[in-house]
Amino acid sequence: MSRKMLIDGDIGSSDDNNQYDFDLFVIGAGSGGVRASRFSAQYGAKVGICELPFHPVSSETIGGVGGTCVIRGCVPKKILVYGANFGPELEDAREYGWQVNEKVDFDWTKLLHKKTEEILRLNAVYKRLLSNAGVKLFEGEGRIVGPNEVEVIQLDGTKLSYSAKHILIATGSRAQRPDIPGQELAITSDEALSLDELPKRVVVLGGGYIAVEFASIWRGMGSTVNLCFRKELPLRGFDDEMRALVARNLEGRGIILHPQTNLTQLVKTEDGIKVTTDHGEELMADVVLFATGRAPNTKRLNLQAAGVELDKTGAIKVNEYSQTNVPSIWAIGDVTNRINLTPVALMEGTMLAKTVFGNEPSKPDHSNVPCAVFCIPPLSVVGLSEEQAIEQATGDILVFTSTFNPMKNTISGRQEKTLMKLIVSAESDKVIGASMCGPDAPEIMQGVAIAIKCGATKAQFDSTVGIHPSAAEEFVTMRSVTRRIAAAGKRKTNL
Amino acid sequence: MATSITTPKLTTTLSSSTLQTLLRNHKFSILNRSPFITTPQLPSTTFNLSTKALGFLSSSSRQAAIKSRRFVTRAESANGAEPRTYDFDLFTIGAGSGGVRASRFAANFGASVAVCELPFATISSETTGGVGGTCVLRGCVPKKLLVYASKYSHEFEESLGFGWSYNSEPTHDWSTLMANKNAELQRLTGIYKNILNNAGVKLIEGRGKIVDPHTVDVDGKLYTARNILVSVGGRPFIPDIPGKEYVIDSDAALDLPSKPTKIAIVGGGYIALEFAGIFNGLQSDVHVFIRQKQVLRGFDEEIRDFVAEQMSLKGIEFHTEESPQAVIKSADGSLSLKTNKGTIDGFSHVMFATGRKPNTKNLGLETVGVKLDKNGAILVDEYSRSSIPHIWAVGDVTDRMNLTPVALMEGGALAKTLFANEPTKPDFSAIPSAVFSQPPIGQVGLNEQQAIEEYGDIDVYTANFRPLKATLSGLPDRVFMKLVVSAKTNQVVGLHMCGEDSAEIVQGFAVAIKAGLTKAQFDSTVGVHPTSAEEFVTMRTPTRKIRNSSSGGKTDSEAKAAAGV
Repeated sequence: MSRKMLIDGDIGSSDDNNQYDFDLFVIGAGSGGVRASRFSAQYGAKVGICELPFHPVSSETIGGVGGTCVIRGCVPKKILVYGANFGPELEDAREYGWQVNEKVDFDWTKLLHKKTEEILRLNAVYKRLLSNAGVKLFEGEGRIVGPNEVEVIQLDGTKLSYSAKHILIATGSRAQRPDIPGQELAITSDEALSLDELPKRVVVLGGGYIAVEFASIWRGMGSTVNLCFRKELPLRGFDDEMRALVARNLEGRGIILHPQTNLTQLVKTEDGIKVTTDHGEELMADVVLFATGRAPNTKRLNLQAAGVELDKTGAIKVNEYSQTNVPSIWAIGDVTNRINLTPVALMEGTMLAKTVFGNEPSKPDHSNVPCAVFCIPPLSVVGLSEEQAIEQATGDILVFTSTFNPMKNTISGRQEKTLMKLIVSAESDKVIGASMCGPDAPEIMQGVAIAIKCGATKAQFDSTVGIHPSAAEEFVTMRSVTRRIAAAGKRKTNL
Repeated sequence: MATSITTPKLTTTLSSSTLQTLLRNHKFSILNRSPFITTPQLPSTTFNLSTKALGFLSSSSRQAAIKSRRFVTRAESANGAEPRTYDFDLFTIGAGSGGVRASRFAANFGASVAVCELPFATISSETTGGVGGTCVLRGCVPKKLLVYASKYSHEFEESLGFGWSYNSEPTHDWSTLMANKNAELQRLTGIYKNILNNAGVKLIEGRGKIVDPHTVDVDGKLYTARNILVSVGGRPFIPDIPGKEYVIDSDAALDLPSKPTKIAIVGGGYIALEFAGIFNGLQSDVHVFIRQKQVLRGFDEEIRDFVAEQMSLKGIEFHTEESPQAVIKSADGSLSLKTNKGTIDGFSHVMFATGRKPNTKNLGLETVGVKLDKNGAILVDEYSRSSIPHIWAVGDVTDRMNLTPVALMEGGALAKTLFANEPTKPDFSAIPSAVFSQPPIGQVGLNEQQAIEEYGDIDVYTANFRPLKATLSGLPDRVFMKLVVSAKTNQVVGLHMCGEDSAEIVQGFAVAIKAGLTKAQFDSTVGVHPTSAEEFVTMRTPTRKIRNSSSGGKTDSEAKAAAGV
């Protein structure tokens, strides 16, 4: 199997009565596409996949094997978060007796260089994964020609046409820019991960996870950061109490927050970009980041040729098995705009391979998907927020919270609380939501997610002995209920 | 990691964030007035512990103040059905994790409770101890603080790979660390006293000794109690070898006047490894001497090998199969350690982490007939009752599972059994634990060998990878993870990890394992990306399947042979 691709010249050959070039042709070699391809090949399917040429900054014609996660998302972002974390860590070290020279330097270029090296390495790893699985990789732009036909426009402009029994669209999404005068002066997260130099002054527009992550990254590296967002608090959709804490922490670490603020104009001046807010405030910036959402990459796929339906955001509509309205065409990952997370795309890809080639129809399960926001300190959640729980509740809700000063801060003197929260259904005693904002939250939440996914009760949490001294042990030692919310007592907020 | 820690969940009680902020700002002066804490009869004791400034001495005077104020409360208990009346429903000897928990909970259930504890000192003895006990004063907490301090040197190294640079190497000032650590311990012992106080528990400073099954003598004063709880913990044990007087134990190692330049640590248990990591991180030259071939007896074999290898890569030198025979002091003041294999010179310190023994001497246990095991631990039944009715014991003094959260569980269960009309046994199954070595270890459930003995057929899933951070830092750090699954039931019966954040990561999984979840349920959980923890839910292919279906009495060596196939 591992050598298959190298000898796989004769694409047209087919053993059984299969008249197609491929059993599966995948457009887009990101997390979902690569997973579906590899697993399908392991089930014995003949698989082809196409992907745009590699570049850190994506466009209609540039991408790279590995996709957003590896090249322009999770991985490079996490690397920069690691890098940014050292700044505050150095400060914390002093009270622990470390004498760190006043002159500490941070070299952005060096970090960026090493980040690119790592991404190139991963890009190669992904290619190898495909080749080892016997998947044929094409470089170029994939388009739909018909329900069973695709074409790949190669770099030199030549077109390849293939027939496929099944087509999978896994082209992901791209950052969007709001329509503001001077918007061309701003960058998106793609460019933010590849800047030539560290910006001294940054304005970030957006209140989502990407916005708070980049704000934290640059602040940790010493930049002046202004964060503008429309709502009262960042991270809409997350638990309100967590949002409030994230806002306080961002502020505590020196990020200047501008809630209920939009940008009206960007103007280039000698001193940098002059940013005007809708409150009439003017901010000067070296870099303006738009983190205002992402849109599915469906425009140039020629989907209308096969009649594939899109929703109003441009995402491909799929059923529970990731099948579009055209039975031979499937779609997974961000292009379907369900839950836009790498591990979800992986799950969708795995289930697709099982369904189509494993003779085992399998629906991805989008319930209780944990996720993390890598702001500093990070936030991680699984299940329902308090607001969602109240909204969906049929009975009373019990809320358990723990706010504490992390042990490390007792000596470092850092003024930052960790907050942990469990939401429990009073009737069933089931834990239906967990969230945490504080150091290591994403690592801590993974195990909690299993318990919640499997319907663990509060009693089962309580029966688990703590690991001492850890932050995580608070999740199994929350004895007294912080508040009980009656089924009728739904609160409405507009944060 | 909360300062609430083991504690009494100071934090959950005080959940309002406003209050938290207030607390932060005003330290503990407002604690007693908090409406969230039930303080039935207390006039608010102003306990103004300003964190870092307090010297050791000030504690005793404060204590005296509390003592005088607290004494008369709840002289007689409400449930006086028995013919005899006692000063207290419960008298606890030892205010460590287990004792404080049992006392507070008992008081919350309406019992009148007193607890006695020795005066505070960082180093324990027959006459010194301190409210908070080993965990707070000489164990988990100070240890973890030193781990934090020592980890920075590794972070400095890592940061170089992330673009940070320093004009000159960061250096470490030992005395700053000790001063800040001790200020924190003072703060915590104060919190513990406050917690007892707020629960209405009477705290008596002094050495408790059992006189008869219902009477405790504290420095000459007699107190009667319906029930007596012994929760006096354990202390480091150093074997009797020549030069023993030059050796330090973990108590002393946590509070040294100066940093060791070169230290010999004798022992291969978790305490030895934790201190090896601490001193190595703080730039001492560290040598660890272990009697066996591997460290951490009782842990999973692969974890044992992995952690030793990772620690060696950080510069710790392991001397295996070497037993200490003597410690010799040279004329220049340096120490030499003589073992069965030879003598190594030039140590500034020799530390023994050679086990701990229950503190059962001079407690009067023999006089009332409380039975001890051969190690001196108090023998108890499933409800923590000793051989004498009305005398109970929890925590390290019973030498069951010597962990703070276990003592808390035992203490909580005991209070329920005695005063809530709800006989409760502590449950010792699937208890997670951590070793704060560098890298740390987290584990829960059975190790591979135990699982083979218990289940016969098992599937083992392992991952050994270089974490994202290490690919950038260029350091040789790796992570090892392992799941042990019962082949018949698909239940995950053991989970082990060595690598950054292990202790934090394992807690959530412990809930899953305690709840008896299956590998399929692990797999159905979506990962949190990018984390190390997600590896535990993405292990698709078993590393090995071990089948000895005849089950039951298979020996280790046979199992190992099968594992190799």
